[in-house]
Amino acid sequence: MTASLDQGYWYLASYPKSGNTWCRVFITELQRLAALPEPEPLNLNLDIQTGTIASSRYWLNDQLGINSCDLSFAELDPLRGKAGASALLYSEGERFHKVHDAFVSPDSKGRPVVNTQGCQGAVYIVRHPEDVVVSLSHFNSWDLSQCVDSLLNPQEALVPSERFGGKQVRQHMGRWDQHVDSWLQQKQIPLLAIRYEDMLANGVETFTALAKFLGLPDDGALIENAINNTSIDRLRTMEDELGGFVENPKGCERFFRSGRTGEGAEQLTLEQRRRLASALKRGMDRFGYEGPDGAAAKTD
Amino acid sequence: MLQMAPGDWRLALEGIGWFRVRDGCRISWERWDDSVSDRDLRTFVVTSCLGALLIQRGALVLNATTLVRDGKAVLLLGSPVSGKSTLAWCLLQQGWQLLSSELSVVDDQGLVWPGLQQLKLWHDSAVALDLDWSELPLVRRGLKRYSLLPPQLPVANQAAPLALIYGMGAREKKPPPMTAVVDDGMASMPAVGEVRAFQMQSERAALLRIRDQAYQPRFYRAMGQEVNLFLKASSLVQLGGGYLLEVPEGISRMLQAVKAVDLLYPDALVDNAANQADGVAA
Repeated sequence: MTASLDQGYWYLASYPKSGNTWCRVFITELQRLAALPEPEPLNLNLDIQTGTIASSRYWLNDQLGINSCDLSFAELDPLRGKAGASALLYSEGERFHKVHDAFVSPDSKGRPVVNTQGCQGAVYIVRHPEDVVVSLSHFNSWDLSQCVDSLLNPQEALVPSERFGGKQVRQHMGRWDQHVDSWLQQKQIPLLAIRYEDMLANGVETFTALAKFLGLPDDGALIENAINNTSIDRLRTMEDELGGFVENPKGCERFFRSGRTGEGAEQLTLEQRRRLASALKRGMDRFGYEGPDGAAAKTD
Repeated sequence: MLQMAPGDWRLALEGIGWFRVRDGCRISWERWDDSVSDRDLRTFVVTSCLGALLIQRGALVLNATTLVRDGKAVLLLGSPVSGKSTLAWCLLQQGWQLLSSELSVVDDQGLVWPGLQQLKLWHDSAVALDLDWSELPLVRRGLKRYSLLPPQLPVANQAAPLALIYGMGAREKKPPPMTAVVDDGMASMPAVGEVRAFQMQSERAALLRIRDQAYQPRFYRAMGQEVNLFLKASSLVQLGGGYLLEVPEGISRMLQAVKAVDLLYPDALVDNAANQADGVAA
């Protein structure tokens, strides 16, 4: 007998600092509003439980039946796709799993690093790489130049060191456009790609599409209320009132910062913007993101 | 890769081997290929396979490292990477003995059995503890984790009565401070000597903590032992003595801090003010 499959689950996939947490907060609020017309105010530090991150070592250990610390990352990556068909025992109901990994890694032998069996689909959230650089700089306390390098690094990964035991395993991301391609080109699970910029500018339309794709309530008034309750200004206020957000790393002044688009164009040098545009052109073109030297046509 | 039924547990671990545990009495394995060493196989035989075998026998197996002093056993209860091994190493320098690492078995009489006696330390921990890592054997080839084994470790080999359970880790998720860390990176860290214990304030909280830290809870469920797990965990709760342990961040701070405390006397570690707002209470 193998562990039984659950009803289904989804992935919320993105390169870091692209709006993944905002999506999870929105999903949480939408469900709360659908369940109770006037729920208690959202508590960022207690309520955001949309599902285990796919790189959770605790979850992988539960699913694989081993202590994953006893495997190298290279040994673990080919196995990760076999983990995650079941929810973590005793720990969760909702199953919208955050993922920052690329769909495959150089060590995964061409296999996805996430389970696709029983998966209902993935939402891929994408954001202009110039703005990702600025957000990453605040989040990691890195200078902008280091962040540009990281988006351009084909070996870029989260938790890359094998010298200490993290609560998450290594997450290979690769270069920004490789990350985008890995998710958009896979054919194993249905995919909805949404742009961070559209979450901001066309919230009702974008979040309604998200809700429909995830099989969540998509009543217009509910969607609008959930959007209003999770606006960046509201999230900033909540973070202040709570004295911080549990997912904020040490040293980062605040998690919910400006949320604006266009900060990259304001803060990066022309040379940095050109480096990004030159190396990431294909991925940027796909989503209509402009570099410093002109517009690219948005394609679907 | 995991197949489980009552009395039959199988694990296919790509690149390592195939493992099977039957009827609580037989462990068999086959290596994936000739590149797999005995040490590779042993790593999983003495953890996952042994855990499955003991669960098949109806034992209560916990994610815990157990230390003994003055004939009394203290369980450090926590998931992998919760810091059990590092804390255990620090305590072994203070006169404690290692009874069982990584997984611990508590019987119906409240005795903790001797078990695996191997502390696995990550490279960064070994460096912080000032160990000569270049002389330490690797847990497995290719890993940056090292094995500490007897006679390097003081060990106990007689079952010992359980005196206290310390759950590893913070009581609840707390946000980091919103202000930036100052240059020395120490602004938000507790002072040296700050080892704190928080009593689990309800039997339910203690029961859930023990259930969640059962060794591979999925094994119990799939092998028809989940009810047994609850019964044995409930019995363990009746013994009392459940605390959550908070140690200073940073290994060198932890090493200093444990010199000033005695885990056999938790009252001195209890922060009464914090306990009034204890998030683990049901």
